[in-house]
Amino acid sequence: MERKTFPGTLDSLADIRQVAKEEAQRVGLSKKAAYNLMLAIDEIATNIIVHGYEEAGRSGSVDVVTEVADGQLILTLEDDATPFDPLQRDLPGEETFTQPLEERPIGGMGIYLTINGIDEFRYEFVNNRNRNIFISRIGEK
Amino acid sequence: MSFQILAEAKKVAKITLIGEVDSLSAREFQKEIERLAVEQPDELVLFVENLTFISSAGLRVLIFAKQKMGTHLAVYMVKPQESVVETLEKTGLHHSINIVDQYL
Repeated sequence: MERKTFPGTLDSLADIRQVAKEEAQRVGLSKKAAYNLMLAIDEIATNIIVHGYEEAGRSGSVDVVTEVADGQLILTLEDDATPFDPLQRDLPGEETFTQPLEERPIGGMGIYLTINGIDEFRYEFVNNRNRNIFISRIGEK
Repeated sequence: MSFQILAEAKKVAKITLIGEVDSLSAREFQKEIERLAVEQPDELVLFVENLTFISSAGLRVLIFAKQKMGTHLAVYMVKPQESVVETLEKTGLHHSINIVDQYL
């Protein structure tokens, strides 16, 4: 298990994505799966930084924990913001995405892309930290 | 003797995006859209051949552009990479954006 810590600011996003990209390549995920994992990580890290830290007037870090187990690449984002489960919000339904852009509600797209891009997404609050867990099966797709 | 006449009065805003659009760079992208919106363009053309990544923050700027520049606005994306097209398709934005190989 490896842990990398980044400041909870938007300019960390590129580095956080880079970790996801490197790990995905290391375990041999397809280009598509690697991109989708990078996108998922970016979306959740953005939420943590913007809503968990910036808008709440707090500062903190975002840890990226990497683990390979049971044929899975498991990346976990950990932060110290207020407990927030991204799965608790209402996901936009199919109808949202067929609406014309000008009538469309903004929001919900990020979590939608997260869940649809990887094999499994989980959230837990452990030891006073948010843990967003991204699971990609190795050797598929 | 044949006669031809070509006239064009439409206003076209052009933006080239290179690299990665995440929540940080999307703020720059949005500022550029706001600046161009003043001109009330009829078309927004995005040259994205070298755009390697776009998150939902970038997609929201596209929605913002449509809302800010008016519903008549035609948005073109020129030569997007496969992963970018997939994201547009997943979120249904491909219904509102013209994906083209070239813009003439």
